[in-house]
Amino acid sequence: MREVTFLEAIRAAIWEEMERDPNVFIIGEDIGKMGGAFGVTTGFQERFGFDRVVDAPISETAIIGVAIGAAAAGKRAIAEMQFIDFISYGFDQVVNVAATYLYRSGGQVSIPIVVRGPSGGYVGGSLYHSQQFEAWFFHVPGLKVVQPAFPDDAYGLMKASIRDNNPVIFLEHKYLYRRIKGTIPNPEADYIVKLGEARIRRPGDTLTVVTYGAMVHFALDAARMLEQEGISMEVIDLRTIKPLDMETIYNSVRKTSKVLVIYEAPRTGGVGAEISARITEECFEWLDAPVMRVAAKDSFVPFAEPLEKFVLPSVDDIVYTARQLAHY
Amino acid sequence: MSTTVRNRRVKQDGAIRYRDRLTKNDLLEIYRRLWFARVFDETLYDMKKKGRLRRGNVYGSRGQEAIQVGTTYPLRPDDFTSPIHRDMPIFVFRGMTVEQVMCQVWGKANAPTRGKDSWSHMGDMRLGIIHSTSMLGSTIPVACGVLWAQRLDGNRDRVCVAYLGEGATATGPFHEGLNYAAVHKLPLIVVVENNQYAYSTPVELEVPTPTVADRAKGYGIPGYSIDGNDVLEVYDTMCEALEHARAGKGPVLIECVTYRLQGHADHDETRARQYRPVEEIEMWEKRDPIVRYREYLLTTGLFTESELPEPPADIVEQIQNAVEYAIQSPDPEPHTALEDIYDESAGVSR
Repeated sequence: MREVTFLEAIRAAIWEEMERDPNVFIIGEDIGKMGGAFGVTTGFQERFGFDRVVDAPISETAIIGVAIGAAAAGKRAIAEMQFIDFISYGFDQVVNVAATYLYRSGGQVSIPIVVRGPSGGYVGGSLYHSQQFEAWFFHVPGLKVVQPAFPDDAYGLMKASIRDNNPVIFLEHKYLYRRIKGTIPNPEADYIVKLGEARIRRPGDTLTVVTYGAMVHFALDAARMLEQEGISMEVIDLRTIKPLDMETIYNSVRKTSKVLVIYEAPRTGGVGAEISARITEECFEWLDAPVMRVAAKDSFVPFAEPLEKFVLPSVDDIVYTARQLAHY
Repeated sequence: MSTTVRNRRVKQDGAIRYRDRLTKNDLLEIYRRLWFARVFDETLYDMKKKGRLRRGNVYGSRGQEAIQVGTTYPLRPDDFTSPIHRDMPIFVFRGMTVEQVMCQVWGKANAPTRGKDSWSHMGDMRLGIIHSTSMLGSTIPVACGVLWAQRLDGNRDRVCVAYLGEGATATGPFHEGLNYAAVHKLPLIVVVENNQYAYSTPVELEVPTPTVADRAKGYGIPGYSIDGNDVLEVYDTMCEALEHARAGKGPVLIECVTYRLQGHADHDETRARQYRPVEEIEMWEKRDPIVRYREYLLTTGLFTESELPEPPADIVEQIQNAVEYAIQSPDPEPHTALEDIYDESAGVSR
């Protein structure tokens, strides 16, 4: 086992997959000599060369397009978005080209690519360095969407994403990069976390919390506080946002009968809305309260600290809503 | 590296006449391919008119056949192509069967896309044909990626020919893709079929430079502006571009000046004679690439009139048979609409 930060876990996973499979390469901005804006690919170019660690122009459309084309020709490509916000430039390539390729080629051409990058707020990044874009891609057939919360999951999910034969959007919460530490297995263990499987990070029986990304940590903090009040929260870390592991959610709902869905993106049209709808369809007779949500306000992520704090969900918001739900 | 626009029509000095290497058989095959493209087009317009093709649009290429034939004829079997909606014959020139292409047009179960997508949105990576989408220009970055895979495998002289209309040169992916290809000196040949109109919008509202080939200057790559209705001129230029690309000197932009004799698609025939001057259409009718090539072949003395039928009867028969084959082919089962959304086969590297 190795003690690593969240960022180092991601770095180790990519490094080891590139060592393991010469077909894997990575392309992005400033990822070569500089090692990327956050240092995920530090030292990669020295080890793997210019052709497998490609410093691209500021061209997200080209970066993602090159990943797709290379994948169509048999490679496994990782496209780094310097900030996931910039994926908007390459939206057509992700949604209209990558996601559809297998379908419109009659099953001939799969597109094993990972489009990854730092996402999320709480770092004063303001509008274009703070967004959570999962809902945009959650809506698109053919894509998978992943967002880990702990180093071991980040490590195992990144390896699984690189080996997956479909386009995967891999969101790395930048708030977690250096704050969260943990252990990961040694390379020989070939540790993989299968996509599409949620993980119960904390068992409980008063209510079920369904969440992912940085919100998992907020939910665990809230759970510790509420424990003293006799409120026992079961915290489900989705890990993979698409496809959803609904079985794990339904099983928990049948136990607790109360559900709180938490996500960091704007409330309207978020992933939590779909989760809520499915629980209502499948578990209505088990529910003792409406499915509740804690999410960002329907705004942009502003720069100044009081503004950002006001818009994004907080541990206090979770505690407040969980209490309401517990006493419903 | 030259960044000047070369117009071979004007500046013939020093330009190699690759066409001199063509044998009589080659010249005849080029003639037959031109006719294949023409008959393909006419047949589908006819099917649409007769109601035997009820779904989808027919995007014709009448008048643009010299580009399809001249750009593909000098390619190697292992080269890549990325055809667009007005390039249906290219799928056949690059190895697909006429039956496959017709099944695609009719949306049949045995079509390359199994009825999922329409018309030219197909391909076959085993034949090096890259699948396109309706987002014109979006295949240029994808073509760069296909070439990047070749670089990783040490195949630096396999070329990709990506086709576009002049209108698509106004898109972002065109710029980002060509910029990327030029920065990394990828063997990409972009063929711009400048048929003067993007749907109804004339070229001067799409492109600010005197020629589309002038855009090449911005990428420091050679740009050609040539007569796209002269198949041997297209052939010569393509051969020159291929030498450049295979030598590792980077991408080339070839603007083939031509004219869309029909509407944007079969539904556009009436309006296409309203948003364009009729005299302009008539002028271009006189520059028919097949008529011109036939006249040229007769002047060489290599062919008699009867050796150059208009059209060759076997080609008409081949296309008709493929149409009947497609019409009689099975429709896809409804449940297959949910197949091939994900590939859940073992995630080991291919």
